[in-house]
Amino acid sequence: MTAVLAEVAKLPAFVRRDVKVALSYRVAFASDVLGLAAQVVVFSFVAKLVDASRLPTYGGTQITYLEFVATGLVLNLMLGVLLYRVAGAIRQEQLQGTLESLMATPTATATVQIGSVASTLLMVPLRATLMMGAIAIVFGLNFDPGGILPAALVMAALVPFAWGLGLATGGAIVTFRRGSGVLGVGTALLGLASGAVFPLALLPSWLAAIAEWNPLAIAIEGVREALLGSAGWSEALADIALLLPLSCLTLAAGILLFRLALDRERRRGTLGMY
Amino acid sequence: MPVAIEVEGLVRRFGARTALAGVDLRVEAGAVHALLGPNGAGKTTLLRVLTGLVDPSEGAVRVLGTDERGRAARGRVGLVPAGDRSFYLRISGLENLVFFARLHGLRRRAAFARAREVLDEVGLAEAAERPVGGWSHGMQKRLSVARALLTSPPVLLVDEATHDLDPEGAERIRALIGGLASGGTAVLWATQRVDEIRGFASGVTFLDRGRVRFAGSVEGLMAQAASRRYVIRVRNGRPGPLVADQLATLLAERASVAPGAGSDGEHFRLEPADGIPLGSAIAALADGGIDVLACRQERSEIEEAFLALTGDRA
Repeated sequence: MTAVLAEVAKLPAFVRRDVKVALSYRVAFASDVLGLAAQVVVFSFVAKLVDASRLPTYGGTQITYLEFVATGLVLNLMLGVLLYRVAGAIRQEQLQGTLESLMATPTATATVQIGSVASTLLMVPLRATLMMGAIAIVFGLNFDPGGILPAALVMAALVPFAWGLGLATGGAIVTFRRGSGVLGVGTALLGLASGAVFPLALLPSWLAAIAEWNPLAIAIEGVREALLGSAGWSEALADIALLLPLSCLTLAAGILLFRLALDRERRRGTLGMY
Repeated sequence: MPVAIEVEGLVRRFGARTALAGVDLRVEAGAVHALLGPNGAGKTTLLRVLTGLVDPSEGAVRVLGTDERGRAARGRVGLVPAGDRSFYLRISGLENLVFFARLHGLRRRAAFARAREVLDEVGLAEAAERPVGGWSHGMQKRLSVARALLTSPPVLLVDEATHDLDPEGAERIRALIGGLASGGTAVLWATQRVDEIRGFASGVTFLDRGRVRFAGSVEGLMAQAASRRYVIRVRNGRPGPLVADQLATLLAERASVAPGAGSDGEHFRLEPADGIPLGSAIAALADGGIDVLACRQERSEIEEAFLALTGDRA
């Protein structure tokens, strides 16, 4: 137990390091926000072409396309950033030559894994919530303030899914030294079957049936129900109950795959190579 | 002194390639032990095994009397890696050290205090708050040493710490490490620079293609191939330029002679015959009216030994 606590006590050091590094890249820090803002502006024009009556209703209320798409875009971006950063965290250490120095300290591999993404896991959902609020204010979207907390919890339940998927991709990257292509295709497929920019009902029925089990799609629908349909806690908890097992399963598989990849590198003596 | 590092029959294979082929090594506490060898000898692999970054294929590795290779073992070994790309370049030296100190289990305040102490020890206190990316090679190397000192480890592994430093920077690092050894730290110093181990290391293990070619004292290594080739600078007491043939005539059977680099008529290579003292050859030249102005070994004994042990490949 003491050993576990000692390892947990190391996590703030990773967060401090990453915040310091992130602050040294001020332009990059702002680029996510600007990128999302640009996308929302584009979709605000697209919204003028979309017949709102073809969109699903939430809590019996007809929503606008911008309200529909803003939630999808924010969650899509959140998943993309999480995946990209988790998958690339260890590779980044490998590329900058710090991985061996990290692994030479008396720190558990799991701590290095969690620590390397701790700041991302904390900051990305927080930023997603803030972005959603900012978009609602700027474009006058009709979000229910009472739905903010349930929506935030639904988003949080998606984090282990992104983390697990990111770790699995990270394992592939550590092994094969390349992985951005796989990551791009994976993100695009998840986005396609997520209902982020169009209703899932427009997909072919077989793909729509699969997409029902896409954790990103479940989270996006959960957030919409909470913010746009005032569905309250019962709906949010039902979504979380569906989301959490999928997320935890993905996380467990990701941890296992990543560990196998690191063990392989250690056996081969190629941990520090890039 | 107790043995701090003990390696017996260590084998490490990477696929079909054998990087270490039955290496034995002993380093006592308080000693600087040189791990000498050309590129690809297996020095870095051996250090990686000792740090726990690479598992051995066969053989026994004991550090501080235990063959445990887990996290606790890593905490007792300090590593100064070969490259200088082992820091987060966007943040300061102080922040880097605080981060690594915390991974060694120090609390935040203690980590800051210790980081400042070691930065001061290696002479980097003034640069502490600047991003490491703007530091010179030598400064980053000293930072690497500072990181290894964070927990005052009883065993320190140093990989090619001075190979790209200027003489002053290299001397500074050696002085730092030498000081630690005097305080009881066992130091394993991997290098291919033969000139730096004399007067610094007490013992040496010479590795070549994963095998130990020599293990013993630095003096013992030098005795492997005592240098018998000299470069002499001479002045002709008589008019006219000197040629090697004139010197050869004077030396007769005592030594062979050849023009030195540049064939400037002043520098010659001299190799006394077996059993003939150098002084005897020089006296023969002086008797013939040749003033010997300077004489030095063409290569140091240690360099000769290096070349002899690697079969002149290096």
